[in-house]
This record gives sequence, structure tokens and C-alpha cells, in this order.
Amino acid sequence: MKKPWLRQYARRVSPSITYPEIPIHRFLSDTAGKHPDYIAVTFNEIQISYRELNERVNRFASALQKAGVGKGDRVAFLLVNSPTYVVAFFAVLKLGAVVVNLNVGIQGEELVRCLNHSGAKMAVTLDLFAPNIYRVVKRTGVKTIILHSVLGLEKKIPLEEGAPKPQLYQEALASGEGAEEPIIPISSKDLAVLQYTSGSTGSPKAAMLTHANVVASVMQSESWVGIEGAGNAAVVCIIPFFHVFGMSACLLISVLKGYRMILLPRIDLMDILSLMKTLETYKPISFPAVPSLWAAILSLPPEAARSQLSSIQVATSGGAPLPSWVHERFENLTGRRMMEAYGLSEASSATHMTPYPDGGPRGSIGVPLPDTEAKIMDIQIGEKECPVGETGELVVKGPQIMQGYWDNEDLTGKALRQGWLYTGDLARMDEDGFFYLVDRKDDLIISSGFNIYPSQIEEALMRHPKVKDAAVIGAPDRIKGQAILAIIVLKEGMEEGKEEFFNFCKENMPDYRVPKAILFRNEIPRDPAGKVLKRILKQEAQAG
Amino acid sequence: MKQLLQELKKKIVEELQLEDVNPEELGDDTPFFDGGLGLDSVDLLVLVAMVDRDYGVEIFSRELGEKVLITLSTLAGYISKTRKRE
Repeated sequence: MKKPWLRQYARRVSPSITYPEIPIHRFLSDTAGKHPDYIAVTFNEIQISYRELNERVNRFASALQKAGVGKGDRVAFLLVNSPTYVVAFFAVLKLGAVVVNLNVGIQGEELVRCLNHSGAKMAVTLDLFAPNIYRVVKRTGVKTIILHSVLGLEKKIPLEEGAPKPQLYQEALASGEGAEEPIIPISSKDLAVLQYTSGSTGSPKAAMLTHANVVASVMQSESWVGIEGAGNAAVVCIIPFFHVFGMSACLLISVLKGYRMILLPRIDLMDILSLMKTLETYKPISFPAVPSLWAAILSLPPEAARSQLSSIQVATSGGAPLPSWVHERFENLTGRRMMEAYGLSEASSATHMTPYPDGGPRGSIGVPLPDTEAKIMDIQIGEKECPVGETGELVVKGPQIMQGYWDNEDLTGKALRQGWLYTGDLARMDEDGFFYLVDRKDDLIISSGFNIYPSQIEEALMRHPKVKDAAVIGAPDRIKGQAILAIIVLKEGMEEGKEEFFNFCKENMPDYRVPKAILFRNEIPRDPAGKVLKRILKQEAQAG
Repeated sequence: MKQLLQELKKKIVEELQLEDVNPEELGDDTPFFDGGLGLDSVDLLVLVAMVDRDYGVEIFSRELGEKVLITLSTLAGYISKTRKRE
């Protein structure tokens, strides 16, 4: 196989890496041994050293073990970036159990489906999200809820009869015996993470990631950047850890390198305001973010933006294509290039990055990482490789690629063929081996880095008693990449009222899926087979 | 203050690409969030960046944000008190 992208590798980057056969949590034990006094976590006024973090992890692992968690058990997380997430993540892994990473925004039926599908017997959450889990827990197999009480809200929320009484995280941690690491034989081939991801249908989809997958992914990204001697440098962690981009670029690379994680949870809207002060105070070496965040920061007056960004050596953007004006403004302000990354849950995180520090051509997602192969296949059947420059489906192969979808052989068979992951993204490769995203095979909308399938919103809208028909598309948005636009046809005699529909959406879906705009039409264009002609709707949206 | 409010409405609609919204029709007490413009966290960051860039007014703390970023008129009131740029 020709690999023209290898010509783009920086001299220090090897095309192949030797991956140690270790479990993910060895990153923590090793760093705690080498740099016990480095600060691992900064969260508001709280500072936790690597020594203390490792001890807390071991104590919490012991508490989980007492609560019945053993090898292979699934533990669901409904957690924002917080010390609780970091401690629980490594504790679960040290027991050989499996982290079930869920977006904290999901609730209701979707949460029930994910919990039942994963077979989680335990959930770890914050009191802020307790109502979501309390409401559904009796319909799931979750027998234990461990709850970190931040505001004492759990005392005010009634628990249904027969639902498991939550155990407080603080008490669980105190009940853990000793600070020794549990002795559980764990193979690098064991399952470590079930990464739930948006599905185009109503059924949940979880990528099965082994310890080896995740370790490989982290080492590939680390070798790509290859910064040495940065000591206990800061990394601003605003990308949620429940997303593979956050788990890899923020949490695991930091722990591998002994960096100081500045945790910024996003619980409500106002949390974002502290980002500017955080950047100024901690002068991070690395700041992974989605394009919409970069765009928002770079909308600041130049002198303010420059002072926020001056320390950042690794400015990574992932989750969606980065607009070229953002690239240009960043370069003009800092004299450095931004690094774009492309990845997906099914690949533990990144498969492609633009070369560091030189960057890549505008609009490119970069080149495949070490040990990663990529090619462009015909869109129809996916069996014929496309020539250079032609658009087709991007398929990738490498040690970071998932084992399949949990409990879903059909989807696994479609996504993984002879070891190649079919990404569903339409892309092309140029003669120099740089890849460019062109579109999606399906109607996925990417808004502020969130993957949103229109069908999830359409199905919810169709449940509204006034709605006769509904279609959802992504409309271009300068900051967010795409904004969600819902087109609604009302039943006869019903009155238009956008407010009512916005409220309905807010009550029935996570915030990031609520449409930005709603249009009423008399009909939705469909082909003879009844399929919505989204192309026409998108053209109309673009024309304004 | 009235002129500032009119100006803010126009800038917010433009900057946040609120294509569905006519600035002329926005009430002075329109909330930024629930039941109003329905802004999300990225919109919020773009809004405070615009206020910093165009008026020299920084709202980079949660405490201040909770007091100021409620409605168009609470924001206009704070800008008119503290602005560094005309």
C-alpha cells in the first residue's frame, strides 16, 4: 500500500511505534511513581498531586470492589470534568471493570436504553444529574448509584420506592481500605471503555475500546507532538472526558506526561465565562478545543486574545472542520499554526492530525498517525479504492480502532470490514497524502463539535400532537460549523408558535440537540419513495 | 441608553447569526436564555467577546455574568456604566 503521507511526518516522528502491553491505568501508577508531587488536578480551589490522586483511586477501587464491582462489570458515568471523574475512571479500570462513557445531557428513554444496553450494574454521578437517573433507575439493571454530592441536592429529590438508595461518593471513598493498588490480572486486550456515540437510528451504539486500543491512541498522539521537558505544565480540560477527544487529548495525555489538568466542567451556561481567566491564570501548554470554542475566543479583541493564547504550544482543534478565518486569526496573533485532528469514538480518538508544528494545508484534516492506514473507497459498495483526488468514503485501520459495537453484530459488520473501519465520512486525499473531509454519507449534523443525527430530533418532534411532518437539517453557521434547523408541517387547523416547539424540544432532548431555528412550511419535499429531499432543504437554507 | 439598546440588538443578531430574529422586534427585556433568545454557551462566549471588543467591557467571571447577562437591558445598563469605548 502506498503511503504518501509518510513524507509529511516530522523528522522526529517514527512511522511505527512499539506499544507496551499495559493497561491504561499504568499511565497513572507510573507518573505517580516518577512525579508524586506534581499537581495532577486543579479544580476551583482544589489541588490534587499525582501521589494523592493515585491513592484516592486505589481507595475508591477498594470501595467499588466491596460494593461488588469486579472484572468485566460495566460502570456507567454521568459525570462532567471533575476530580470525581478522574478518580472513578482509573478506579474502575484498576478493577478490570469497564467505563461506560455517557453524555451527561442524555435523559429519559435514551438513558434507559443506554443503561440497559450496556448492562451497567452501577452508575457514578453528581447530585446535579441525580434527577435524571433517579427517574429511570427502576427500569434499568443499575443496582448501585454512587453520587458525589456537590450542593446536597440529593436530599431534596424524592427517590421512588424500590429504587436503590444512593451511596455518597465521599463516604465510599472514606470506606475504601488502604492506598494499595488492587491486584487484578488485566490484559491489554481486555475491554476498558464502552463509548456511547450518536446513532442514526434510535438504538444505542457503543464502541468497544480495549486497553490496547486506548493506550495506542494516546501514544500515537503523544509521539506526534513529542514535547519533552515540559514538567508539570498545565492543560486546560474543557472538552468533556466523556467524549474520546477529551478522554485522550485532555485526560490521558496529561496523566501520561505528568501534566496538570485544569478541569473546567460545563454544568451550566455561565461556566464558560471562567475560561478566559483560566487561560490567563494557568498559561496552559496545551488547549484542545472544538472549532466553535476557538472561533469564540478568536472573536475577542486581538490584544485580549493574544494574552489568552500566548502560552499555548499545542492548539488542537477537533470534532468538526475548522473555518479558515479561525486558522488565519490564530496564526496572525501567535505566529503558530493550529493543529487539526480528525477522529471518532470508534477509533479511541484521533486517526489523522496535521503535522506538528508546521501544520497542513487549509481545510485538511492532516495525515494518518503512526501505524494508521487510510484510504478512500467508492461510496456505493465500498470495495473499490478511489484514485488520488477523488471523493469517496474514508476508511481507516490501526491499533486504535475499536473491536466492534457492543452487542450489535449487524452494525459491527457494516462498520468493520477486513479490519478497516468505514467512517461514514466522505473525503479525498491529495498527492501529498493530506486528507480533506468533504461531507457525510448520512445526514449527520456537527454543531459545536457534537454529532447530531436529524432522525433523533425528527422522531421527538413527530411525537408533538400538532406536528404532521418534520425534517431537520444542518444550516451553515460561522461559529458552530452547522446550526440545527427544524422544518415543521403542522396538522390542519393548528397555529404556528415557535416558542411552544422550542420548549417542547428543551423538555425532550439534551440542550445541544435543540434546534436553533424553526421554520413552518406547508409540506416537506420528498422523493417518490417518501424520503425527505434534504438536498433541496439545504439549498433553501443556504439561500436564506 | 435607548440608542445603545438598539445598537446591541443589531449587533447580537448579526454576531450570533440569529436569522430568525428581527432586531427591531426584540423587546428591551428579552432574556438571553430560556424563554428568550435561547443562547447556548458558545453564543455566550461570542457575546462577551463582542462586548469586550466593541465596548471595552469585560464580563469574564461567572459571578458578574449571572448579574449582567440576564436580559438585553441588564447588559445595556452594565455597558453604559462601565464602557471604555464609544
